[in-house]
Amino acid sequence: MPDEPRIGVYVCHCGTNIAGLIDVKEVVRYASTLPNVVIAREYIFMCSEPGQELIVNDIKEYNLNRVVVAACSPSLHEVTFRNAVMRGGLNPYLFEMVNIREHSSWVHIDRREATEKAKDLIRMAVAKAALLEPLEEARVSVAKNALVIGGGAAGIRSALDLARAGFNVYLVERKPTLGGHTARIPLIRYLGIRGDELVKSAINELVKIPNIKAYVNSEIDSVEGSAGNFKVKIRIKPRLVNSKCTLCGECVKVCPIEVPNEYEYGIVKRKAIYIPFEGAYPPIYAIDLEACTKCGECVKVCPVGAIDLSEQERIEEVEVGAIILATGYDPYDPEKGELGYGLSNKVITLFQLHRLLDERGVTKGRLVVNGSVPRRIAFISCIGSLRTTPRSYKFCSRMCCSAMLSAAIKILEQIPDASIYVLHKDIRTYGYDEDIYWAALEKGVRFVRYKETPEVEVQGEDIRVYVRDITINEYLEIPSDLVVLVVGMAPGKYMRQILDVIKVSCGEEGFVNEAHLKLRPVEAPSRGIFLAGAVTGPKSVIESIIHGSAAASRALSIISKDLITGEAQIATVNEDLCSGCRICIGMCPYNAISLKQVNGRTIASVNPLLCAACGTCAAACPSGAMQQRGFKDVQLIAQVRAFRG
Amino acid sequence: MSEKFEPKILMFACNWCAYAAADLAGTSRMKYPPNLRIIRVMCSGRVDPQLVLEAFAKGADGVIIAGCRPGDCHYIEGNYKALRRAILLRKLLEQLGVESERFRLEWIAASDAKKLVEVTHDMVEKIRKLGPIRVVGEVGSVE
Amino acid sequence: MLSEGKVRIAFYWMASCGGCEEAQVDAVSDEPSLINILDIVFWPVAVDFKKEDVEKLPDKSVDVALINGGVRLSEHIEMAKLLRRKSKIVIAYGACSSWGGIPGLANLYSREEVLSRIYSEVPTVYEKDKKPTVKYITEEGIELELPEVLPILLPLNAVIEVDYYIPGCPPTPETTLNALKILLSGKLPPKGSVLGASQRALCDECPLNVTKPEKILIKNLSRIYNTRVDPGKCLLIQGIPCLGPSTRGGCTALCPRVAMPCIGCYGPLETHTDYGGKVISFLASIIDSKDEREIARIIEEGVPDPAGLAYKFTLPASRLRLNLMKWGGRGA
Repeated sequence: MPDEPRIGVYVCHCGTNIAGLIDVKEVVRYASTLPNVVIAREYIFMCSEPGQELIVNDIKEYNLNRVVVAACSPSLHEVTFRNAVMRGGLNPYLFEMVNIREHSSWVHIDRREATEKAKDLIRMAVAKAALLEPLEEARVSVAKNALVIGGGAAGIRSALDLARAGFNVYLVERKPTLGGHTARIPLIRYLGIRGDELVKSAINELVKIPNIKAYVNSEIDSVEGSAGNFKVKIRIKPRLVNSKCTLCGECVKVCPIEVPNEYEYGIVKRKAIYIPFEGAYPPIYAIDLEACTKCGECVKVCPVGAIDLSEQERIEEVEVGAIILATGYDPYDPEKGELGYGLSNKVITLFQLHRLLDERGVTKGRLVVNGSVPRRIAFISCIGSLRTTPRSYKFCSRMCCSAMLSAAIKILEQIPDASIYVLHKDIRTYGYDEDIYWAALEKGVRFVRYKETPEVEVQGEDIRVYVRDITINEYLEIPSDLVVLVVGMAPGKYMRQILDVIKVSCGEEGFVNEAHLKLRPVEAPSRGIFLAGAVTGPKSVIESIIHGSAAASRALSIISKDLITGEAQIATVNEDLCSGCRICIGMCPYNAISLKQVNGRTIASVNPLLCAACGTCAAACPSGAMQQRGFKDVQLIAQVRAFRG
Repeated sequence: MSEKFEPKILMFACNWCAYAAADLAGTSRMKYPPNLRIIRVMCSGRVDPQLVLEAFAKGADGVIIAGCRPGDCHYIEGNYKALRRAILLRKLLEQLGVESERFRLEWIAASDAKKLVEVTHDMVEKIRKLGPIRVVGEVGSVE
Repeated sequence: MLSEGKVRIAFYWMASCGGCEEAQVDAVSDEPSLINILDIVFWPVAVDFKKEDVEKLPDKSVDVALINGGVRLSEHIEMAKLLRRKSKIVIAYGACSSWGGIPGLANLYSREEVLSRIYSEVPTVYEKDKKPTVKYITEEGIELELPEVLPILLPLNAVIEVDYYIPGCPPTPETTLNALKILLSGKLPPKGSVLGASQRALCDECPLNVTKPEKILIKNLSRIYNTRVDPGKCLLIQGIPCLGPSTRGGCTALCPRVAMPCIGCYGPLETHTDYGGKVISFLASIIDSKDEREIARIIEEGVPDPAGLAYKFTLPASRLRLNLMKWGGRGA
């Protein structure tokens, strides 16, 4: 310390709460004998106006530069006394509080012992106080914009909420259209609405709001900075078709390239130039860069000249105060041979089934497989979840039971004499979806409960499902015209790329971790990054939308303010001492520590806006270069050394 | 010569859980032995084993690191780091002749004043039986 | 401070392996011109000076005394105090005199256990009842007084005031020469400083440091003797406890360069209050598990002897200064 510590110690009576048991006079006498203590006083209620004035006046009169108050818990009055210290002209962190009420007078019975304890605690606090330093919080002005990554149900909701609150929103979507998987769901039962209608109505709202800028066919190239000031580079990939497009479809006729159509989950093919689905937004064809051979046939036939094969990708840089990650999920993709998948057209996934049942889909809603109407249908649920197969995840995917039984009911409406088996581990049609279960039962769906995963044998056109029904303990052989693998939601295919640019962490299963399951469910531990929708785990459309709203409201907590403030007692690196060993970086759940170059050395650096001031990195730092302000090694060691006097 | 040995126990209590539990014990007027001295840290993850060793070296008969329960850490995972260090530190302390009962890692939720009181009672009794910690005196000018 | 022209230098070894003696010769061999300016007044390993020769020297007439080895015999205390009187500057040379060194690990056992082991339990001992005694009468009837084996091994600064430390087991020629240069320059750093070595931890100068990922979390710890390692990658991230992050640099990371983990012979940095405690702290912190049993298993497999790993060179200087018994304070 450059200055000699001059400590003032104040012992509070708290009426009789402290003084009733503790010999305050003795404590004050003892305090005045401690090293560096210039003045020690007692007062009946230190938190009162006159009590605080004692501190303010003494600082001036006795030229104090450290203050110790022995009273109640810091959780009650640390702020009060810090303010008093500030009014006295000192930095508020040159203050230490001692708890002799909750921790002594209220919990002990012997006067001498309680008094001795109070003296010990004050001695320890005085030892620490002598080494306290003035501290400041970092303050930076906030960019009052937000970035939403992912244009599905959750992302669109977040964008709408933030924009309606008056803030600029950049919405970035990887695919050439907004809507995500929601747009491909034929019926969202709760809302009684089609997925693509829901998305359309949301988009209709979106286009009316000028402060949302939507980037489709775009990715996040890089994210620099931190909460309040993220600098983001958006990579806009060339669509090769511009807004002159009239959706006439002439280009599709001449395109020579065919690839599986991901918007129909692979049950049909599309061309390299395509419109994702009817009503897709923006209503412009797109060219699949990976499939297109740039043959130029489409350019020749386009009547309005909307196709430009020379379009280059562009980078746009934006500055935002908060980022919402809403990148959703992808269906579990069975591999070839997994329960017969890929070995026959008659083995499909639930997502593919939904496309076949969609009135606006490729079959106009008529369920036809290999030219004929299937009459014997077997659903095998929990594929990809509940560890049913070696590649399966261990979680339950929440939505599949309801979706599966809705589909079964729809099939029976279309094919009343169909024989439907539902092979299941459990039926988890939770909440009001219980109705679906009863409806399916009443319509004659046969439920077979299994423990060991069923087997599917594909012999040309002949498909048989083998399962042991554990309710009646019998093996069943079910010849089927159609086998539906009820697959769950899995982490998005592009998570790797996301993790490269955004510092969030994933759980074992690959979904992004929220900061706290109950207390902070829509934020990442890193300040300024929020999470919406299925990116954190399987959710229904409604749950994703609610999640999106929640994330938006949390994001507002940053961008609605002009300044973003850091903690005062943050970790800080002694740059001369740091050896760049990198041990600290892995300690921080807030990603507040990064590497920087100083004079040719790579050393650690703490972002004062992201540091949550826990001190874990300081304890782990092998060289002692990382210290936590207000809880430095020397300060705590002094406190420990004073423990026994 | 019947002066009962009164152990002196030092506890590093994390601000959000253990310290709050001690506060709650106070507001609830629970009573427990006066042998405990608490040093407040923001997170149990701040507790460096050097501090624990210093405490024993300076005559603490017992040392407790008290933090939030696994999964509840205010700072996400600090308590897991404390756990890892405590396991290795305990092994070291045993080799150095400090009995296992003298060092504890306890998870004490903010609402669990009862646990704080129980832990204190238990620790005091166990260490009273063990006796004072025997530490070699300050030898020469090693400070 | 130094005498005109020549530097009057004394060397002494206490509980020493002789490595520091070799290191000192190595260092001077690298800078042979030093021979011209060193006036050696005491050098038990090489020259037959006696204790009386030192006693005859005027106080403070020796410019610098380099003392290596730990304090284990009563004779060591006597000689240390003698050299302190006679020398302007006393330097603890090497890990043993600085913090106790490897022989300091004997402090995990009582003196009786140590002597019993050496003189009785080792299978090659013939007369199992003989132990060293302070007074001994020879066959011819001559009474000899032998030094007492102290209850524990101490670092040099436990018995005399030490001016500077030169770290290492042994200090490399570069470290030794750097330290000598500082002494010869006349611009002496504050008393108690470590000379000739780095002010930062070893990772700062280790070529393997750049191979680390940003986040270091390891799933298993293992010992170098039973693990195949990639010599081009940091050993710590491969699960080998390397103490480089905590240990003072200055040796140019000789060991990691040949795929051997740093064992900490250059000792603590200024910021450490207890070197072993810091090693425990960082090593445990990077274990990638949240399950108590799993963590215990990883530690059991990889660090079966925490004291041996963390305090290999520094046990006598540790805060818990073993063994836990009140040392009578003889000669302190």
